[in-house]
Amino acid sequence: MSVYPRSSEPFLFVHKEPVQGQCPECGSHNLRRYPVLSEGGWWLVTKCQDCLFSLERERWGRLGSIQLLSETL
Amino acid sequence: MVRVEPPVLIKDLDEDAFRARYQCDRFTATVLSSRLRYIVQHMCTGLLTNAFSVILRDWYDFASTIAGPPELDYPTPAVSNSLVLFLGTMTDAVRNAVEEFGPQNLQPGDVLMCNDPYRIGTHVNDVCFIRPVFFEGRLVGFVNLQAHMLDMGGVVPAGFSGTKRNVYENGLVIGPQLLYHDDRPVKSAWSLIFDNARFGNLLLPDIKTIYQNLRLGENLLLETIQRYGVESYLGAVRYACDLSAETMRQALARLPDGEFEGEDFIDCDGVDDSEEYHVKVKVRIRGDRAEVDLSGSSRQARTSINGGWLDAKTAVAVALKYLLDPRSPFTSGTLRNVDIVLPEGTFFSAMPPDGAIFLYWESTQPLLLAIFRALKEALGPNAVGGDYCSLNIHNANGVRNGVPWVTMAQCGGEHGPWGATKDGDADSYMVFYLANNLDPATEAIEADFPCVVLRKEYATDTAGAGRHRGGAAVVKDTLWLTEAEHYSMPLHTKAPSGFGVYGGKDGAVGAVWVWEPEAYEQVQRAGLVGFDEAVYRQATPVAGVLNPESHTLDHQGRYFHFARVPIWRTRPRTMFRYLTNGGGGWGNPLERPPERVLRDVRDEYISIETARELYGVVIQGDPQHDPEGLQIDYEATQALRNAAASQRH
Repeated sequence: MSVYPRSSEPFLFVHKEPVQGQCPECGSHNLRRYPVLSEGGWWLVTKCQDCLFSLERERWGRLGSIQLLSETL
Repeated sequence: MVRVEPPVLIKDLDEDAFRARYQCDRFTATVLSSRLRYIVQHMCTGLLTNAFSVILRDWYDFASTIAGPPELDYPTPAVSNSLVLFLGTMTDAVRNAVEEFGPQNLQPGDVLMCNDPYRIGTHVNDVCFIRPVFFEGRLVGFVNLQAHMLDMGGVVPAGFSGTKRNVYENGLVIGPQLLYHDDRPVKSAWSLIFDNARFGNLLLPDIKTIYQNLRLGENLLLETIQRYGVESYLGAVRYACDLSAETMRQALARLPDGEFEGEDFIDCDGVDDSEEYHVKVKVRIRGDRAEVDLSGSSRQARTSINGGWLDAKTAVAVALKYLLDPRSPFTSGTLRNVDIVLPEGTFFSAMPPDGAIFLYWESTQPLLLAIFRALKEALGPNAVGGDYCSLNIHNANGVRNGVPWVTMAQCGGEHGPWGATKDGDADSYMVFYLANNLDPATEAIEADFPCVVLRKEYATDTAGAGRHRGGAAVVKDTLWLTEAEHYSMPLHTKAPSGFGVYGGKDGAVGAVWVWEPEAYEQVQRAGLVGFDEAVYRQATPVAGVLNPESHTLDHQGRYFHFARVPIWRTRPRTMFRYLTNGGGGWGNPLERPPERVLRDVRDEYISIETARELYGVVIQGDPQHDPEGLQIDYEATQALRNAAASQRH
């Protein structure tokens, strides 16, 4: 297993990266890209922040960002 | 913009549409879904009645699921009515273990195992045993049992401790590997466990029993497929998951759109009490979609009070199931319309190797309660009060007549009260919301271990007041008859966990004390220890917010850190007392019928003083010496309640 140090920040946040575009469902331009956990495991989604419509959902890491050293063999 | 039409409900599909989607008729799909649930329950019953170790036999610390094949992405259409903590993790556990091992490497007669919290959730003692099921050479699914092993190595016997600092102290980590191949034991895998874990003589028959119940599940599933056909079976797997996804979607749509915030916390970790660990939840609802954002929550703890990312996922799923959609079965489809925004590295998504995970429920139970708190206003009368939250787990170990022994969550505050609902008063002796287990029998505890359970009873004036009363806190006294080592882990004593809803009041907070032999002999009367201040002065606080002089509960007192003594090494005739938190009330207590308040006084859930102060009911008499002679002063009650009502307005 790789090593993941404890954060020096006391409180943690998920960064939601702004994305250009328009929501096809509600027309909002408030789109963001970030990982979520749902049915099927981790997904990297592009979502409308106003109506929560997912424009894209693609598989993220099976264990999130945890990497197995054995996967490098 | 496009207008997205809501999907047709499953119940509105006509016969042809249903068959086209699920490859069988509606009746068959229903029968098969029930059949899958029967199979997992049967597997659990087989394990429960044949297990050897106390954690399986007396606690029911295991669960069973069926998973669909890889091409369907391992859906879980059936989970057992057992340990809730496992039900949400096992879908991902099976997927992650099988994908890492390689489904192409599995054969009939194999059993795969894995216990890594970062891969499959929960803690290292919970080994997930996965049996692939082949029908006519095709991998059609998996029958699975995840069960708590009595020990998995590490620095603490049996593992339960909030003081381990990394994965290396925590216990043996097993990546996905075969335990059986072609129905023959893989000796190197068994030796890996036996060479690292204590109590191998109990692990051996427990694991063999698990293997036999996996075979039972496999046989029942194959009989089912033989009778109904593999396509009908696979259709039913999808039907079961779709159905629970649909009921959750409908339940979400019944909530108003909005953003709902909640928070809860645990006291500290096992290093010191310098840092509390907070969970912050923002539930966003838009139509039938939800996003549960946990941003702003505390980083991981320095010791093994952490939970993992799959434990957080379970807590979210279970919270929403409890509150919004309790009537349909829990499946992997439950979260289809729910996204969880989960920062990695929090105390419920801890990372290796220093984010040691063991007391994972202590971190995810506050997460569940934070969601309960977030939604309580939106739910109005459907809100549910908080429970006692912390398992207050106590584990002891020692050697008697040359034979080592270890307890498994029997003699702390492991059972306690729930919160009240619109349907009635809460029960007072349950396992917390994220669990569903048995209560080890006192007779079994005293037969297996050198101790006497002196008290296991409800504590007066601890239940959250309400039109429907919260459950009362449980007080448990245990006298230890030999030298022993004790790990004590109460983690939610600084503030009430049993919050009230819909006008109900909070329950009380709990604490833990120990009386050393001299103190015990001084305060005991006919063996029992009372509750007055003189008694508590002789006690040593273990944890809680207490008056530093009298050691009685005092919300303005001092917090005593639960791990300032990491291991309590005690002499014979030492007594521990655990007092759990109380459950939250539902509704305005001034609306509780006076006759029910009278009954609560008679049964010592509440005192005459509390009846007056919180419920506005004036009762006369002596509940201890003449409980049936208690009487309500209706005239004084009406006056008191009128005065209270006018103050509120």
